[in-house]
Amino acid sequence: MADRILSVNAYTTLDLLEGTVEGHGFTEEAYAVVNATADREDPDHVELQVEFDNTQLDEVPAHADKVQLSAAEARELAADLEKYADRVEAAEE
Amino acid sequence: MPSKVEGWKDEVYGNEIREHLFEFAEEGWEAIPEDEHDAWFERFKWWGLYHQRKGQESYFMMRIGTPNGVIEPGQLETIGEIAKEYATGPVDNPEFGDAYCDWTTRQSVQLHWIKLEDVPEIFEKLEANGLSTQQACGDSWRNIVGCPVAGKDEHEHIDAWPIAEDLHDRFKGNDDYANLPRKWKVSITGCDEGCGQGDINDLAFEPAKKDGELGFNVRVGGGLSRKEPRFARDIDVWVPPEQAADVAAGLSALFREYGDREDRFNARIKFLVDEWGPEKMRDVLQEEFVDFDLPTAGEDMREKYTYNAGHNEGHGDHVGVHEQPDGKYYVGLNVLVGRMGADDTLELAELAEEYGSGEVRLTQRQNIIVTDVPEDDLDALLAEPLLDTYEPDPHPFMRGSIACTGTEFCSLSIVETKNRQVRYARWLKDNVDVPEGVRDFHIHLSGCTASCAQPQIADISLRGMKTRKDGEPVEAFDIGLGGGLGENPHFADWVEMRVAADEVPGYVENLLATFEDERAERVVPEEQRGRDGETVERQTFREFIAERDEDELQALADPEETSYEDPYMNNTKMTWYPYADEDDMGDSPAPTDGEGQPLPADD
Repeated sequence: MADRILSVNAYTTLDLLEGTVEGHGFTEEAYAVVNATADREDPDHVELQVEFDNTQLDEVPAHADKVQLSAAEARELAADLEKYADRVEAAEE
Repeated sequence: MPSKVEGWKDEVYGNEIREHLFEFAEEGWEAIPEDEHDAWFERFKWWGLYHQRKGQESYFMMRIGTPNGVIEPGQLETIGEIAKEYATGPVDNPEFGDAYCDWTTRQSVQLHWIKLEDVPEIFEKLEANGLSTQQACGDSWRNIVGCPVAGKDEHEHIDAWPIAEDLHDRFKGNDDYANLPRKWKVSITGCDEGCGQGDINDLAFEPAKKDGELGFNVRVGGGLSRKEPRFARDIDVWVPPEQAADVAAGLSALFREYGDREDRFNARIKFLVDEWGPEKMRDVLQEEFVDFDLPTAGEDMREKYTYNAGHNEGHGDHVGVHEQPDGKYYVGLNVLVGRMGADDTLELAELAEEYGSGEVRLTQRQNIIVTDVPEDDLDALLAEPLLDTYEPDPHPFMRGSIACTGTEFCSLSIVETKNRQVRYARWLKDNVDVPEGVRDFHIHLSGCTASCAQPQIADISLRGMKTRKDGEPVEAFDIGLGGGLGENPHFADWVEMRVAADEVPGYVENLLATFEDERAERVVPEEQRGRDGETVERQTFREFIAERDEDELQALADPEETSYEDPYMNNTKMTWYPYADEDDMGDSPAPTDGEGQPLPADD
């Protein structure tokens, strides 16, 4: 197993998620880490980072995925997350 | 554009901070404007003070820098007294009590639950006894490390202690070197065992011979942490002892000038060595930062290194009774996870005074050594009851444990560490057979991907994570195997992720059983038998791991529940203190005033 790529500490947004890695001809399940962050000084983007535990995956090499979001895009994502969170909570009642 | 931290540093730095610190101490915690907390906490690090984590506001960890781990006669008593009086919090630690000292992996001292209001008194007492917290943290020279028994060891070729002391005096408190791009860790060793762990320092001086003269080879750019651990690189420089400080100054200045101040994650000199390569590093050092010709590297002694090397020879971890060149003895005591109650510390200070010279030394394995014990007094010292707790001859599973501070106090940690590692060690001792020939077994437990417990260089590396068990999030560990230093240092191979904390001992038990079954053995021909007379040579754990590939390593063992019970499975980072009965954040008394009384919250 390769070492983790993302740092994981108490400040990591979510350190215990379940997820699926889906490709052409394969689907695998593994735990994952998701983190939202931005540079402390003069950030020009928000970074959203995702890393699946590579011990549980055979089809993909160990890696972390990172996307850069503008402030507006980050808010759009947050809004969508809120919207779907509402929907999930409503279904739980 | 330089980082925000750089901005804070320009405004108020160096010795000015002390004035502000003392003013705040006088006025009390609430005098620090809340919107300036981050800025002031960053500055306080210059005086060795780290603000404790969420739920523990207004309390500080204090680090006392003791170069090369040398604690001179009288100083251990001072440390014990300060711990007893000031290092107490609202709740006791169930394992260690109400006041304790932590011996660290950089041979320094950490105390917790320190109140801002007590800082001036504490500093006065420390300074009256030749101790200081200056620059123990922050972007500056950190505590200088080396062979803890410098000047008192038979394996020594050069006594590096006077040089370490000289470096400490020259660079600590020196404003020219106070504001570096990032932390600067220096190791200087004069023995041939490698116990300065130079490989994992920014700057390492290692003993070497050049044209018959003893001096130091220079290596640069070691360091652990995150996914970018590096071993220090050889820059092909040798110095005689009297020029070590000049080269140290030169490299420190080089780092100051060329280190990355834009991106703190790229700031350690290890990244500069990556970028430039060792040759350019040497050239720039020669051209711009020293005014004498740098000799090329001499002949080093790395093939003799035994420290954390995965085998049993040499003075290893300094635990046990060892003869000094002057005919007296040093006695290395095992301190499980480096933590010693304040009363025990005071008692040890008395014993050191009574049986030795009063001096003690700290090691990078969180242990403590009593030096200068005359042969005639050895038996009496070894019979002292305190040494039943801090043993010179500990069980292999009690020996070799290193643990970082963890969720008890640290804001980065994901899991509880020290109390857990104590439980792990005890359970292993009581339930698992030690493989034949294994004298100590290194388990380094770190609470997160920072590397304070040096997880990458252990037989078994444990790094805090979380997993789900019975539907609940619980504390867990990623597991690495086969790391260590020695002539050919190697970082651990990570083989398991998210092993539930209560299944780790079972994993270790299964792993060691497989190791014992499958490891290679050979009969040693008579003419090759060494001093120890061993007739069978067995593969070490590190060799065993090194010859297996990733799949084979993963197949070695499975995690398993056993009789081991773990009281810290719940997410301790969400508590205000893991051992409090009422541990929800809302139950925290913090912040408190100088007497530890909760301050009324602003409404």
